[in-house]
Amino acid sequence: MPVTLFLLHALGSSGQEFQRLRDLLDDTVDVRGIDLPGFGSLAEARDSSLETTVDHVVAHLAAHARGRWMLGGHSMGGKVAGLVASRVLRGDAPLVGLAGMVLMAPSPPRPEPMDEERRERMLSWVAEGTISEQDAETFLKQNTAEPLDPGAHESALTDLRRTSPDAWRAWLETGSRVDASAEVGTLDLPVLVLAGTEDADLGASAQPGLLASVYPRARFIPLDDTGHMIPLERAPEASEAIARFVADEILSGPVVPDDWSALIAGDRVDPRVRGILNLRAVPDDRGYAPSVLDLAQLTLLREIADLVVPQNGPAIDIAARVDAQLARGEGDGWRNADLPPDPEAYRAGLDTLAASWPTDPAAREDVLRAAIEGRTDAEGPLDAARLKLWLEDARNDLVRQWLAHPASMAHLGYDGFATGGSPMRGYVELRLGRREDWEPAGVGGSIATGDAA
Amino acid sequence: MNIEQMRTFGTDETVDVVVVGTGAGGAPLTAELAKKGLSVVAIEAGRHFALEDLTPDETEAVEINWMSERLSGGDDPTAFGPNNSGRGVGGSMLHWGAFTPRPDRRDLALRTETGEGRDWPVDPEELLAYVERVEGDIGVSGPTPYPWDPPRRYAYAPAKRNAPANLVAKGCDALGIRWADAPAAVLTRARLQDHHGERGACVNCGECHQGCRTDAKASTANTYLPAAVAAGAEIRAEAMVHAIELDARGHVDAVVYRQNGVDVRQRCRSLVLAGGGVETPRLLLHTGLANANGQVGRNFLAHGATQVWGRFDEPVRGHRGYPSSLISEDMMRPADADFAGGYLVQSLGVMPLTFSTTLVRGGGLWGPELMQRLEQSRFMAGIGINGECLPSDDNRLTLVDETDEFGIPRARVMFTAGENEKALDAHATAFMLRVMEAAGARETIVLARTAHTIGTCRMSVDPSDGVVDADGRSHEIPNLWISDNSVFPSAIAANPALTIMALSLRTADRFLASAA
Repeated sequence: MPVTLFLLHALGSSGQEFQRLRDLLDDTVDVRGIDLPGFGSLAEARDSSLETTVDHVVAHLAAHARGRWMLGGHSMGGKVAGLVASRVLRGDAPLVGLAGMVLMAPSPPRPEPMDEERRERMLSWVAEGTISEQDAETFLKQNTAEPLDPGAHESALTDLRRTSPDAWRAWLETGSRVDASAEVGTLDLPVLVLAGTEDADLGASAQPGLLASVYPRARFIPLDDTGHMIPLERAPEASEAIARFVADEILSGPVVPDDWSALIAGDRVDPRVRGILNLRAVPDDRGYAPSVLDLAQLTLLREIADLVVPQNGPAIDIAARVDAQLARGEGDGWRNADLPPDPEAYRAGLDTLAASWPTDPAAREDVLRAAIEGRTDAEGPLDAARLKLWLEDARNDLVRQWLAHPASMAHLGYDGFATGGSPMRGYVELRLGRREDWEPAGVGGSIATGDAA
Repeated sequence: MNIEQMRTFGTDETVDVVVVGTGAGGAPLTAELAKKGLSVVAIEAGRHFALEDLTPDETEAVEINWMSERLSGGDDPTAFGPNNSGRGVGGSMLHWGAFTPRPDRRDLALRTETGEGRDWPVDPEELLAYVERVEGDIGVSGPTPYPWDPPRRYAYAPAKRNAPANLVAKGCDALGIRWADAPAAVLTRARLQDHHGERGACVNCGECHQGCRTDAKASTANTYLPAAVAAGAEIRAEAMVHAIELDARGHVDAVVYRQNGVDVRQRCRSLVLAGGGVETPRLLLHTGLANANGQVGRNFLAHGATQVWGRFDEPVRGHRGYPSSLISEDMMRPADADFAGGYLVQSLGVMPLTFSTTLVRGGGLWGPELMQRLEQSRFMAGIGINGECLPSDDNRLTLVDETDEFGIPRARVMFTAGENEKALDAHATAFMLRVMEAAGARETIVLARTAHTIGTCRMSVDPSDGVVDADGRSHEIPNLWISDNSVFPSAIAANPALTIMALSLRTADRFLASAA
């Protein structure tokens, strides 16, 4: 099943603006444009405020987002996408499965840089009703590097002319000015940002400054000879970049099964827990730069992880997650008195093992076994006894990182995270071989019925 | 706890008592002294946790644990952190398992009985009277009558038996072992707690160790501390005591704590340390006080807590329900014992990360075998013990050069199981294997573990032989008291919290009597 990309359109546009991306990405990414209130098919909607728009998108996603999906947007839609994504990763939306974002010339969470004269001029276009054909033409001319082809041009004109004047005003007067940076916060997930070199305030040179602190994992790709209308101007280039991004950064790691996603999204799970699980389910950073270990040490830890916690299917980068844990200073509250503090122990342990680590993967298991059992002949910063002690910590850290992932919980049939809600619900059925009707079938056992229930 | 209207004391005032720690050791005494009209400030290193601050997620839930690193050595290094150490208003009672067996009279006089270990310089009947008071104060559920103590009554019906409990019961029945629903400080019907409000009934979520979100599980934060605040005590949270000042007579004059990066001095007429078996001796060793005889940090005790897990055909899913809902006291003095003392037996359900840690550390597993056990975990039921531990001069807490975030040297605890612990463990392991096999387990695994931090500032009649006297008062500094599990002369098999609270009430009475 291809991964789904939900896209939120720009001011004066509609989901229709992504039709070309949808056609081009047909095999790899299922692109779905969502019309926002006041635009496209929803031009009659009364309330186009940012809050209502975010609620609308959340409701749409709750009805349609399944499996692994991405969210993105163009211009105005980029700001909305950031707000929705932050809700998802905080657990404040009934949504699970967000794996990454695709932003095209996005408006940032902070107030959008916009020339006031231009804002006034654009507001004047709706002073007496919908946008005229002439003003719409002006808008397209100002926002493209080169004229659009006739099909795209026609489609963009149609959307502009049917835009609700109230929605147009709501964005220019309020939505674009709202400072949502605190609410959005920092979103640590794979993000692709496409921007045109000929765009003005939201162009390629401006985007890193606007977004780097919001999306630390953003990959910025400039598009030459491109204005603001990326999906219409550069659909082939954009779709190629999206396909590459998806292959590189989105498809790694396990997917939470649908029935488990529905459970996590549901009201038995507290928002905080949902947020914790959603963050852990975000694909690992392929280009993760270790902070406590060096690259060689991280590589070795990954090879150890493959032996200690062998994962069938798409793997979680538990070694990188352990490095990040060490960088946060998180341990388990104690360490063996013969070992130095965790970061130092990891470096010393890995350097010791590196000296005798075989290049032949088939030979590694025996070397690791000897080290775990305290009979290594490796010589390095840790002697055999300490190496054994450190490996006990490392084994524990690695398996805990694996287990903390919601797909692992689903795999093991553990649904204890779904004890929440208001009033809080725990378990009614505690017996051997039985489960409750809200529990995924994968936990095993049968649902009690009849007299036994 | 009504923090908004809490009485507060100025740091320029000299309060009657400063209590360091708000867990099982500090809170009951704080409430008692405040009720008698004393001015009391309880200083707590951790923060306040509202019910909605708690999370069932095991990784994140460690915010209620003492995670600042401790060093653990010896042949059997004991695990700290989530295994036994709390931090927050309520102390370790935020994460405790709420298993509340009463202390056994025989354990309190083990030396007299066996020539091994220590007798407690405490009248067992007196202690048990305090235990009953605590049970009333916090609300304990359990079976009535209690098989090993028929006159005993519990105010609340037992927690619902979960699948591991039923399996262990089956194994016990087959072997003729008596079992019962476990006494647990978990409400099975709602209760209006004085000065706190309604505490809900247990909803069987199984997440006691992550902090109870319905208030069904008793902690000091929903019992003694609200009572203490209502009686006029002040709780100062997120304040780490790192110095104790003496006057010219050598009496405690003030404590110094760091709060929000600022050192604050609080003058006091008396000081009660209630930081538990690690933090209390660490503070005394750091300040160099009450240790002329070199006894501080000695005789660290940890309960043997080996577990046996059996794999069954049907899903057990023991993370559901109160985790230890079955008890047996039949092994408190086994007829064929080749050791002093005995052990309590409990059924076990478990959370996945806790179980994986035990598989890795206690079972030495990794690779395909580890993954296989994890995949089988939902088919596994456990049985575990809490076993007597005799004091040993080799098991000791000392300080190392490395310091924590407050500049206080970290604690290093050396623990090696002695011959008695090993003999008890061997007996218990064989017993537990028999029970699980009789219950129908397809296969079993044994996972080594220890639990609880006890000893290090023991009570003694002979001033050369301990840190505090039989009342809990320092042998050396007359206005310094200790009220926590560090004063236990021996481990006793019962899980410590109920006994710590009972001793805390007793210490409060002794304190008041000494001042009278």
